[in-house]
Parts: sequence; structure tokens; C-alpha cells
Amino acid sequence: MNISRRRFALLAGATGVLRGAEPLTAEAAVTRIQKELGGDWPSTGPDGFKAGDPSTVVKAIATTAMATLDVLKQAVKANANLVLTYEPTFYSRADGRTPVTDDPVATAKRKFIENNALAVFRLRDHWQARKDNDMVTALGAALGWSSHRVKSDDALYEVPAATAEATVAAIRAKLNLRAGLRAVGDRKATVRRVLLFPGSMTAATMWQRYSEVDMIVAGEVREWENTHYAADMFTAGEKRALVTIGRVVSEEPGMRACADWIHTVIKEVPARWIAVGDPYWRPAS
Amino acid sequence: MTAREVIERIKQNQGIPWNDRSTRDTFKLGNPDTTVKGIATTMMTTFDMLKRANAAGLNMVITHEDTFWNDPDNTKDLLENPLYKLKTEFAQRNDMVVWRDHDHMHAMKPDYTVVGELRSVGIRGGEHATMRPGVLTIPETTLGEFAAQVKRSSGARAIRCVGDPKAKVSRILVGPGYATPRMLPDVDVVIGGEQQEADGGFDNVEYVLDAVSLGMAKGVIMLGHVISEQAGMEDFATWLRTFIPGIPIQFVPAEEPYW
Repeated sequence: MNISRRRFALLAGATGVLRGAEPLTAEAAVTRIQKELGGDWPSTGPDGFKAGDPSTVVKAIATTAMATLDVLKQAVKANANLVLTYEPTFYSRADGRTPVTDDPVATAKRKFIENNALAVFRLRDHWQARKDNDMVTALGAALGWSSHRVKSDDALYEVPAATAEATVAAIRAKLNLRAGLRAVGDRKATVRRVLLFPGSMTAATMWQRYSEVDMIVAGEVREWENTHYAADMFTAGEKRALVTIGRVVSEEPGMRACADWIHTVIKEVPARWIAVGDPYWRPAS
Repeated sequence: MTAREVIERIKQNQGIPWNDRSTRDTFKLGNPDTTVKGIATTMMTTFDMLKRANAAGLNMVITHEDTFWNDPDNTKDLLENPLYKLKTEFAQRNDMVVWRDHDHMHAMKPDYTVVGELRSVGIRGGEHATMRPGVLTIPETTLGEFAAQVKRSSGARAIRCVGDPKAKVSRILVGPGYATPRMLPDVDVVIGGEQQEADGGFDNVEYVLDAVSLGMAKGVIMLGHVISEQAGMEDFATWLRTFIPGIPIQFVPAEEPYW
């Protein structure tokens, strides 16, 4: 029987019988992830290989919210050569589809990836679309709120009552945030019901959900839309607050959970999560 | 003079062909034929700003940003929204009119939002700046010192900076609001209001993190959308007074929303 290398790796993963008999390529690893996550994987979507050779033999896998050069350096140190990133690697939605050849930063990053034989794959839409929405539950867990989830199909949490100020301080401490955390609304409001929204929240979602809760914790919003709405609600006397913690930071726990999930589908090689951290600082005065 | 007549004068004086297809630069609230008692210019028609304008006896608001929490000010999905009702009823009860000047302000020479932003952050020589003022040079300093100066000068409480505070910087590129410019090889610091953090047209944050990792002197300073375009509306009020005599015209700031 003549089976392709890719098919072979798939079989090996699916049955577990032939594990170790054939080296696991980046492409085979990704194929197994895609199969486990299900859905169709259109080539026009954001997910896919962004750099490196898919036939690279995987030594270890690193997951991250955003494959910055620092993250890639840490991956190399950890001997991981397949990097799964939630956000782009090459600084835009286009994510290097038409490489800018004369940009020194992008060029140096490509060279680093090449020199270290890394393969970088963007895993966003399909990880996010997973039925067990780890992007939400992992953020809830990182905040220590796992047991406070109201229902399994929504991102609502009923947390121990505290002022908005105190809740914000707890969020800042739990997620180790700096200037990336910004809050608007009533700082004295009593917060019990919280909606978690990792990533980018639209204005329409804000209008729909803000009045149901005491606090929304989102990754990012548009300031002249959502933040404006929260400020006006405060002027109207509504005791609520909107907290934005940073898009990438809000996605970090979900990608940490992704590494844990990878362990369950790819057992041949280790998988670990690499943090980006809050990129923002604020001058003292 | 009616609000409509005020707008006709603005159109005649703004010095650019009027684009009637702009979804932004239209009446947002009230009757255009209302007699104007006073004009308030502002960066954004927040509910709080609307109340302060009314208290100051200014019944016409000229705003740079939206009134109804979405860029084109679509109200279709908001008609049953209690906050929408509260805000519109307040305006109606007080005979207020709101009109937006966004696209044409940015096309105008100078673009007062950028003139004001440059003054606000303490960079000299921006009196005639357009929306894309090009690279401006300041005496060499560190990113940390420059950011501290920008914070003091602009008053931005929730300022956010990326980059190595010790990096030596002098070449600055500034953009207003959401039009935060992309970092370029010959620029040290980009200053903007806000920007999608990742997966956008150009992700400055990741780019600067990587540049820092390579030892390059690069930084981003995000002022917040309101702060970045606030000061320009004071210049806009000054400009309005040159061709709208006899009506009180005041700059009424939108507040920085963050704690």
C-alpha cells in the first residue's frame, strides 16, 4: 500500500499505533489539528502557514497569542520549531502575503525564522470557533472565575461583589497588566455580573450586552464607539464599567489553553505556551 | 442665523470641494432650521459635553466625531435603546442641533486636528500641518523622557507607550485619532490616538516590539482618540469666528473617558 507521508502521519495520529515510526512534520501536525477542530479551512481565511517550511520535522510546538520576534527567540530556546500564533506574524491582516522586501524589521524576522528552521502557522478562526470556547473560559480561569460562570454557552460570570475599582485592581494583578488596562464608567459601581470578551468587541455587541452586566472586560474596542457609549452611560447615571485590557493580552490565556489541548491530539512532541505580556507602559509623570 | 446657514458658510470657507456623499459630515440631531444662539465646537458629542454646551447657552454643536457610538452614526438599531432616547430627548427638549465635520476637516489645509495635536504634545512648528504632516524632528531625547513630556503637555492620563524608554529618538510621525500612521524605517516614534492592536492595516505594536528586539530605536505613543483630536477643535472655533460674526462660539471639550 502506497500512502503519502501526510496521510501516514494522519493515520499515526488517529490510531496511535504507528506513533514514533515516522517523524512528525509541521504539515502533518497542522493537518491533525485541523481534523480535530473540524470545519473547512479556506485558503482565503487568516489561518495557514505564514513562514517556514511545512515539511520541517517538528521537535516541539509553541503556542502564542502573537508570534513576536521575542516569542520566536523563546521558542528556539525551548527547542520548539512549530509556532502556532493567534495573531499575525508580519504586522497586518495580510500577514506577509505580499512580503515587503525592503523593510528591515520584517526582513530580519524572516531571516531569524529561516536560520532557525521554524515553521509559523496562524491558528485563529478555527481555534476560536471551537465549541468549547477556550478563548473565553481560559480568560475566566486566569481571572480565578472558573466556578462563577453563569451558563455554559455564554461568557457571563457572576463574581463575588466588589467595587469596579477593586475588580479592576484584581484583574490588573491577576493578568500582570501595566498601561494596557484602561477603564471607563462608574468606579464605585458594585460589580457582580461580568461579561468577558477576549479580542475585539464591536459597537453593536456593546449596545446589546452592556445593560445586562455591571462590567464588560474586553480585549479592545473602538474608543469613539464603545468607549463613548460607556462614558455616556455613566453620564446617564448607569452604575457600570467598561474595562479594556489589550487585545493580545486578552487572548493569551486562550492560547495557553491551546497548548494544553495540543497535548491531547499530538502526543509525539511536547507543546508549551509562550507569553507576550502587556506591551504598554506609561511614563511616571 | 439658522444652523443650515452656519453650515453653508462653513462649506464656502473650508476651501475644498464639498463631498455630499460623506456619511459622517451630516446633521445628526435637531432641526437644521433652528435659530443658532451659540455654537459649541467639540471633539466628540458625548452626553456630558451636550449638557455642558446647553448649560452655556450654546444650542448648536459642531462635532468632529460621532454622536451615536458608531462611525457613520447609524441609528437604525438604536431607536429602542434607552440611552439613545435619553440623549435625543435631551437635545430636542433644549432645541439643540448637532452637525459633524470630520472628513472635510481632515481634508482642509491646515487640518486643525493635527495642528492641535502637535501643539498639545509640545512639538513646535505644526501651525500649518495637514493630515499627513510628514516626519518632524525634535532635539534628540530618550523615548521615556519624550513620552513623559507628551503626557504632561497633553494631559493624557491613559497614555500608552511601546518601546524601550532608553532609546534615543528624534524623528516623529504624528496622526490624528484612528489614523495612527504606520511606523517607517526613517521614523523613531509614531504618535496617534488609537489603533487596532493587531490584525489591522498595519500593526505598529508588534512591529515596534520586534524592532526593539532587534535593537532598533522605535516607539509608539497612543494618546487616546479624544486627547489626540481635542485641541484642534479649539482652533476650529477660532477659525469659525473669522466668518461667523455676532454669534457666541466656544470650544467645549469632550472629557478623556478613562479613570
